[in-house]
Amino acid sequence: MLTIWGRKTSINVQKVMWAVEELGLAHERIDAGGPFGKTDTADYGKLNPNRLVPVIDDKGFILWESNACARYLANTYGLGTLAPSGPEDRARCDQWMDWSITTLYPDVVPSLFVSFVRVTAADRDMAKVNAAAKRAGENLALLDAQLAGHDYILGNTLTMADIAVGTLLYRYNTMPIERPKLPNAEAYYQRLSARKAYQTHVMIDWQSMKIPGA
Amino acid sequence: MLTVYGRANSINVRKVLWMLDEVGEPFDRQDWGRGYRPTSEPDFMRLSIFGVVPIIDDGGFVLRESQTIVRYLANKHSRHDLYPADLKARAQTESWMDWASTDLYAAARPVFHAMIVNAKDPTTAVAPADGVADWAKHMKRLDQQLTNEGPFLMGAAFTIADIPAGMVVNRWFALKFDKPELPAVAGYYDRLAERRAFRTHGRNGTP
Repeated sequence: MLTIWGRKTSINVQKVMWAVEELGLAHERIDAGGPFGKTDTADYGKLNPNRLVPVIDDKGFILWESNACARYLANTYGLGTLAPSGPEDRARCDQWMDWSITTLYPDVVPSLFVSFVRVTAADRDMAKVNAAAKRAGENLALLDAQLAGHDYILGNTLTMADIAVGTLLYRYNTMPIERPKLPNAEAYYQRLSARKAYQTHVMIDWQSMKIPGA
Repeated sequence: MLTVYGRANSINVRKVLWMLDEVGEPFDRQDWGRGYRPTSEPDFMRLSIFGVVPIIDDGGFVLRESQTIVRYLANKHSRHDLYPADLKARAQTESWMDWASTDLYAAARPVFHAMIVNAKDPTTAVAPADGVADWAKHMKRLDQQLTNEGPFLMGAAFTIADIPAGMVVNRWFALKFDKPELPAVAGYYDRLAERRAFRTHGRNGTP
């Protein structure tokens, strides 16, 4: 049995859960992190000394870092579907996964999302918010260009590149920020939103995560 | 021949140069980016609209993202000693690479920016105390892993897991500020320096 540790509201848990459902894997998810705690226990420290979620336990094989988890599951259970098989397609997929965590994530999550849920409206640094929104929009223009002429990032089927990038799009599209008009990226977000696994694991309303006054 | 686009003092370009030397692949390199030709020039944009270094052009196959390139080169040369074929060991290698390029690298960034990128005079720039504390916390995590599972991140032998972390370790020691003692990390820095490729592209005096 596959076990996933992590609260369903964590964007990094959402990424792994979306992959798990697309792959049709039997699993159980255990709430941890945020209001559920548990990550500071000695047992959790053995699973992940970084004390973050998600962690996966695949029949005793323990792994952390959400992209590594998604890629492991895709390579193990979805080679040729979520995981491309040729070395060049694999690298094309990897570059979007890496881009999602090194380039898109820092603006969308620590700068924007955290500002809207963990900072009161009175204390919110709107200059920082606006700058991050602008950069995120500029970066998504690159995704928009990539999506010209096909439905998903690498072509016409969903891969783990879409899972890594697409998970960030729900947050991005539901925050009160200015977004540039990006027709391909918007159609792509609608396409992802029509998938049951995306609805179940990513489109989770985050209003209840706000601190009072946020 | 494979061409690398990017200035040789960029930490991300250096990961790729280190790996090219590890696998012994000949390459050309062009300087692009901060201090050199801007990546907004049409010649660069024709290759990649992302405008970031490094990118490689390997016989017409254009690839960006330093760690993607490192993994691509390991696969291309079938270097399973550096990037395990076993999917579980492979995934653990990737998790250390991702950790080093996100949590560890992000923690190093405020100190590096204060002392180098934004410093009016890097010879007198002072490291911000809160930045040092956060970076040190992540370096202690690295020290713990190397103590428990080392001497390399994946255990007995050098792998590509050590490339992103090794570059941040070099930055840690190359910048002058008061640091906590991290014996396993110090040993790791010396062990990596036994590799010519790391001495050339990593531990070469540039933070």
